Amino acid sequence: MLVITRKAGERICLGDEITITVMEISGSSVRIGIDAPSDVPIYRHEIWESIKEENRAAAQANVQRLPTPRGRSHDTSST
Amino acid sequence: MHIESTRFGTIELSDDAVLEFRDGLIGLPGKRWALIAQSDDTPFYWLHSVDDPSLALPVTSPWLFFPDYEARVADDDAAALELDGPEEASIFCVVRAASRLEDFTVNLLAPVVIHAAKRLGRQVINEAGGYSVRAPLFAEVELQQVEPASPGVPVAAWAG
Repeated sequence: MLVITRKAGERICLGDEITITVMEISGSSVRIGIDAPSDVPIYRHEIWESIKEENRAAAQANVQRLPTPRGRSHDTSST
Repeated sequence: MHIESTRFGTIELSDDAVLEFRDGLIGLPGKRWALIAQSDDTPFYWLHSVDDPSLALPVTSPWLFFPDYEARVADDDAAALELDGPEEASIFCVVRAASRLEDFTVNLLAPVVIHAAKRLGRQVINEAGGYSVRAPLFAEVELQQVEPASPGVPVAAWAG
């Protein structure tokens, strides 16, 4: 991992096509501007992590049969 | 072809039921998945890994539970799916099942989009904002009111 110090208004380039600008620093928050080609997906890290977590949890569900509304098929299950 | 599912036993799959997820599902291994139906009157399917017999996720059509749901697919996601228009897309959301109905949740933020004719699938981040990864599934409708799903995608039957 590379760790560098930047001041408000300064930039970082990732290759030729991606520029990250530190726009504003206010207390514990940093506002960041990102210039990147439209085919580069950019997500907040915690959103990506939360989707991963939901997928993994969904795959681990200890469920054999999912609920079906009663009435269309015979009433064989109370869940 | 078939899957020797650890959850369901042997599942026969026709070739057109195998969907290619070139970028996988977020956080899970494997690029080939298939939709499995446990019965024809259920609102749920399983999205089952073709490559890992122990990996399957419950999914549903979000509109069965949230009639006003909106899904907006980013241009780059649509391009990756080779979609030419919204009518070509089938959309499912991943369900987190639980022992009690009131604890079921659904991921409305990251729907699974399938281009059935091309057998391509991709989990995307919904550009229509404000949706949760863990929305209570039965927040707006009760189980009794839910219609069976009609997938628009080849679905393998599982007779177990």
